[in-house]
Amino acid sequence: MKTGTTTTRVLGIFALLITTWVVVSAFFLTPADVVQGDSVRIMYAHVPTAWIAYLAFVTTAVASGLSLVRKHRTLGFDRVAGASAEVGVLFMAMTLITGSLWGRLTWGTFWQWDPRLTTTLFLFVTYVGYLAIRRVDVDPVRRARRSSVIALLAVLEIPLVHFSVVLWRSLHQEASVLNTDGDVRLDDLMLFTLFSGVVAFTLIFVWLVVHRQRLAAMSDVERLVGLDVAITARRAESTVGGGGI
Amino acid sequence: MDLTPRSAPEPRSTSRRLLPILVAVLATVAGLVIVVMFLTSSIDYYCNVDEVGVRDGCDDTRRVRVQGSVDEGSLQMRAGNTSFVMSFNGVSLPVDYEGEPGGVFQECIPVVAHGRIVDGVLMATRIEVKHSNEYEAENADRLEEAEKSACS
Repeated sequence: MKTGTTTTRVLGIFALLITTWVVVSAFFLTPADVVQGDSVRIMYAHVPTAWIAYLAFVTTAVASGLSLVRKHRTLGFDRVAGASAEVGVLFMAMTLITGSLWGRLTWGTFWQWDPRLTTTLFLFVTYVGYLAIRRVDVDPVRRARRSSVIALLAVLEIPLVHFSVVLWRSLHQEASVLNTDGDVRLDDLMLFTLFSGVVAFTLIFVWLVVHRQRLAAMSDVERLVGLDVAITARRAESTVGGGGI
Repeated sequence: MDLTPRSAPEPRSTSRRLLPILVAVLATVAGLVIVVMFLTSSIDYYCNVDEVGVRDGCDDTRRVRVQGSVDEGSLQMRAGNTSFVMSFNGVSLPVDYEGEPGGVFQECIPVVAHGRIVDGVLMATRIEVKHSNEYEAENADRLEEAEKSACS
């Protein structure tokens, strides 16, 4: 059994092409920043990974809500929720790592307990805990119910993280694009490359989630098939032994 | 008819069962530490220069984090020591730092200095640069504009 289809292959190729464009543009075409110099190039990875992590956690919450409401599709939605959270944690880890490197180059420090950094780390740890909780329960239906409630609570942290730079005094700069006054404070090519990065990472996110949830579905099917095999074996035994109902 | 599988499915090994529980416990502990750090350090990460000794929590008798812009022409670096004057809202504070600040430290840029105030001078043990959220191409015209407007 495979997890790939024509659609996912096309999606993968598009993701690869746009990612290649982002890398070329980020390193060779976009200008250095007037204050930050070349270190600004980290932005083309840092900002999209943060946005996609938000998207992943919102997807997890939506799938979790549907998992609770649509009882006949509980496990299907739960698999999407779990897959999206896994990919989200991966992107959030990349956000923290790239942010730390960028911080060292511009602020002069890898880490500070400022509001944005602290709330982002809290969000990351919350979803690591969520993934751990998912693996504690063996029963898939109970796992789906429990993790859905956690996902619906955890997603409330995202506005806190995003607006932390407005709500409190922070070392981290305010948003340059999704800010409260609606101004875009980026050079044209910088903005286009950043937008391309968001598109590329979104395609990668969708590609990863589709494959991961299909793998989870296969794993569930394998468990069910195992049970079917056991039942068939017992039926065969009772037939051979001449037993009946 | 009894359809119960004769042999129970193989139980997960102890380490596989305990690992997620251990990770969940570690995540909870880490979460609590982060909340404590948030409450003690993150809210009001810094005081502005004009708030030192005036605003609650910005006492000049204890270790403070002060934010202000590095005054043009005030920066002096000699023998591994950095001194400058930082200002905010028309109030200035001299800063002395043992070492060379990292990042994109320069005149006319906002910084956060950590330290204690001794005889009216902030003896800093750490300097962080607080850059803006504006990104502009580095070219000759813009450099001149930036230099002209930075301290205005």
